[in-house]
Amino acid sequence: MLHVNSISKTYHSKPALSDISLYVHAGESIGIIGESGSGKSTLGKIILGLEKPDQGDVHFRGSNLHTLKGQALKAFRRHLQIVFQDPAGSLNPKLPVWKSVVEPLENYPDVIPSFLKEVRHDRKKMAEVLFQKVGLSPELLERYPHQLSGGQKQRIAVARGISLEPDLLVCDEPTSSLDVSVQAQVLNLLKKLQRDLNLSFLFISHDIAAVQFMCERIVVLKDGILVDAFLTNELFSASRHPYTKMLVEMSMEQDR
Amino acid sequence: MFENKTTTSCENNLLTVESLSVTIRNSRKKLIHNLNFSIPQGEIFGLVGESGSGKSLTATVILGMLSKSLEVTSGSVTLGQSEITSLSERELRNIRGRDIAYLSQNYQSFFTPFIKVGQQFIEIIRCHTDMSRKEAKKVAIHWLNKVHLPAERVFNSFPDELSGGQLQRASIASAIMFRPKLIIADEPTTALDVLTGERILDLLSELKEELNCSILLISHDLKHIIKRTQTVGVMYGGQIVEIGKTSAVVANPIHPYTNLLLQSRLRLNKHIQHELPTMLGEPGLIAEEGCPFTKRCPSAMESCSNKVPMNSLGKHHSAACHLVNAEREERYVTR
Ligand SMILES: Nc1ncnc2c1ncn2[C@@H]1O[C@H](COP(=O)(O)OP(=O)(O)OP(=O)(O)O)[C@@H](O)[C@H]1O
Ligand code: SF4
Ligand SMILES: [Mg+2]
Repeated sequence: MLHVNSISKTYHSKPALSDISLYVHAGESIGIIGESGSGKSTLGKIILGLEKPDQGDVHFRGSNLHTLKGQALKAFRRHLQIVFQDPAGSLNPKLPVWKSVVEPLENYPDVIPSFLKEVRHDRKKMAEVLFQKVGLSPELLERYPHQLSGGQKQRIAVARGISLEPDLLVCDEPTSSLDVSVQAQVLNLLKKLQRDLNLSFLFISHDIAAVQFMCERIVVLKDGILVDAFLTNELFSASRHPYTKMLVEMSMEQDR
Repeated sequence: MFENKTTTSCENNLLTVESLSVTIRNSRKKLIHNLNFSIPQGEIFGLVGESGSGKSLTATVILGMLSKSLEVTSGSVTLGQSEITSLSERELRNIRGRDIAYLSQNYQSFFTPFIKVGQQFIEIIRCHTDMSRKEAKKVAIHWLNKVHLPAERVFNSFPDELSGGQLQRASIASAIMFRPKLIIADEPTTALDVLTGERILDLLSELKEELNCSILLISHDLKHIIKRTQTVGVMYGGQIVEIGKTSAVVANPIHPYTNLLLQSRLRLNKHIQHELPTMLGEPGLIAEEGCPFTKRCPSAMESCSNKVPMNSLGKHHSAACHLVNAEREERYVTR
């Protein structure tokens, strides 16, 4: 469904990504891990079409994402949605949260997601269904972002992200700003939605434990280079790249 | 080490917080409730709890920087010989930045943008001493080297030319230049990735040895605390609900909140998990009467609406939970 073909990107003559290739099949969830500065978020932005690669291309359902324009691009965008790290920054502070949740549906009046078929004519009802999907109480519909906890805001961002029933949801560090207890709740929610809606996930994180829980395949980036790619159940295999092994060890160390 | 009220600061304690309570001035709402802990010279003490539990507020009181809308209604904070809670603003200013260094989660905003890092170091140094610019630069370079940064390059950089980890290191360098007795590190690694964060914590431990100071390490995540601290206090709703030697608390958590915090840590697993264990409810759900955790506690019972005193479980471990008496029999006596 998504093919990234040897893309490279340079900022201020420093290479941010060198010759990265990867693919995501329908319904699959792929984790991208690496330290800060490893190029994770740049890769995410290129896949979403927010940045152009210097070299290489991204094909999504057979079309080259970076040559699409106008209506064709808009039609594709619908299938690619994102949930950011900072739940506060991704919501409009001046809108009651239910309006933020249904905003994408207003931009795409012709899209009728399967789970909103019966209520597509009623914005408020759509918001209610989406709230229910992400486990939020309908009492919170009228609240403003500053009246919600970090975990609640992140659920709102997820509700918005799935509202158009996208094929691919890119999650860029979706839980790292949340309390530990809330992180687990949000990860459980994302995993359940992925299964229920048959979403594909591109899950970007520096937390190898979160990626292990969420993803079937893992890609490791270091200084803009793809150093390792494997099935999650091969995470502890002896043939892992030394860098991956070190990340695993670090994560185990912390628990002692 | 963390007795209840009964003993005052023992000889080698650098910092002692005693029966500290903080309320909002006009609503009388208690934000911090009867806090007791102390940090011995040369030790790292961990304070852990979720968002809003009162960790940063505790740090603010120790720094003598409590907002005007809040008020210390009881108790005291003592650093060495000085009782911080009774000092004047001028005396406090002398202590802050010199005796106590503060590192915050927002290291991004530690330095002013568009002014070179070195320039900012020189200003900080000249504000506390009467050194010439040249001498001040020497001092700055010395400390930038100490935190393992390419000193000259960082000195001549603008803040936005440095990575997150480098900025945090530079802010550490500037915080420790006057050899503080206490470093308060409030979520110093939360915004960093695991490797960068671990290296920052290694650096802090190393500096602690060199300066022979104490560290108050604050985090919402036990995994940042476990390996680094000798003693840990677990906070919920403005109270310490469990405190003790870190190894004892981790091996034998008594308070259900501590237990759930430990369980909900994200960990690598040999087997793929289908669902992560979670905690009931949201942070901030705090009971006003009795045990603050009542509304989220899986073991809550009727008596939990009554006040819970801190009960000690042996010399190095105590918890404020009605289960303690029952647990004590099981865990400590029968062994
Ligand atoms: N100036 C203030 N006026 C009123 N309430 C305040 C003030 N400062 C803090 N509080 C409240 O005190 C409580 C404790 O806040 P504190 O900042 O100490 O939490 P924390 O444990 O550091 O949380 P986090 O992990 O989110 O940093 C919160 O309920 C907060 O809203
Ligand atoms: S006192 Fe009661 S409610 Fe509080 S932690 Fe103990 S069992 Fe739970
Ligand atoms: Mg805080």
